[in-house]
Amino acid sequence: MLQQIIALIVVAYFLARLFWQKQKGQIAAGEFVFWLFFWLFSALAIVSLKAIDRLVAGLGFSASGIQVLLYLSIAVLFYLLFRLRLRLSKMDQDLTKIARALSMKDNSK
Amino acid sequence: MKVICVIPAYNEAERLGPVLAGVAPRVDSVVVVDDGSSDRTAEIAAAAGVKCLIHPINRGQGAALKTGTIYALKQGAGVIVHFDADGQFRAEEIKKMIEPILAGRVQVVLGSRFLDRSNSGGIPRFKSRVIIPLARLFNRFFLGVKLTDPQSGFRALSAAATEKLDWRQDGMAHCSEILSLLARSGLPFEEVPITVVYHRFGQRLGGGIKIIRDLFIARLIN
Repeated sequence: MLQQIIALIVVAYFLARLFWQKQKGQIAAGEFVFWLFFWLFSALAIVSLKAIDRLVAGLGFSASGIQVLLYLSIAVLFYLLFRLRLRLSKMDQDLTKIARALSMKDNSK
Repeated sequence: MKVICVIPAYNEAERLGPVLAGVAPRVDSVVVVDDGSSDRTAEIAAAAGVKCLIHPINRGQGAALKTGTIYALKQGAGVIVHFDADGQFRAEEIKKMIEPILAGRVQVVLGSRFLDRSNSGGIPRFKSRVIIPLARLFNRFFLGVKLTDPQSGFRALSAAATEKLDWRQDGMAHCSEILSLLARSGLPFEEVPITVVYHRFGQRLGGGIKIIRDLFIARLIN
């Protein structure tokens, strides 16, 4: 119970930060919605641990609900890392385009 | 037909001068692309009286080659030669590299370090026995290209071929990408034996793995 309360406090902190960032205009609307749903889903998962335990057992997993959530979160993290890598590659290509345009324009001897 | 030689250079001030002295008399013009060097590469190129484009930051050999190639096309090049700045290729071999294109036999000529074994003696043993055969296998099975030299940077392209071979790899993976594009394009090509003088080891096994990673990511984002 205490662990759930601590986890909920952490989620509340991140939600508050998210709203603060939105108010300051530091994140785009799409990103705000993504993280809002992410943290709300996390809070829901925390308060429904018993139900998740039953669901996981019903699906035939030997692990408890919290363990399955942990595995899922690792999978999500890997996916996000992969997306980040793709985005970096795209930015790399854009950097090259800028460097090329500059070299053609006035940075030549 | 106007022949322009594109030479990407990154911190090659030490070797660039003699390379330019050898190349310049053999082509109509030379374009050096200084890829964000921190040494006097651009000054050496300017002193040699050749065109020098400067990338403000280092973007990799593939990116520099592309910049020079786009510029060469704008200058009305009929044949574009890709040549290294570190002096590992021989300028006198440019003639036999461009001859098949000038004669109208092919659109692309690739230099090969392995067609004439007597020319490839200087290649480090680990490279010739392990890295190159692995690269050859990779090219054959994953890119669909069967060539004797999987990673040669000495090539000549007709202007028409250059427009079809639109490589996007900024780093060393451009070599494999060009071969892959060539295989898919159906452009006629020829391999010509070249001589390589090794001043440094060049592409290592880690570099090869990075090339595969870059090609994989490129497939996903493009």
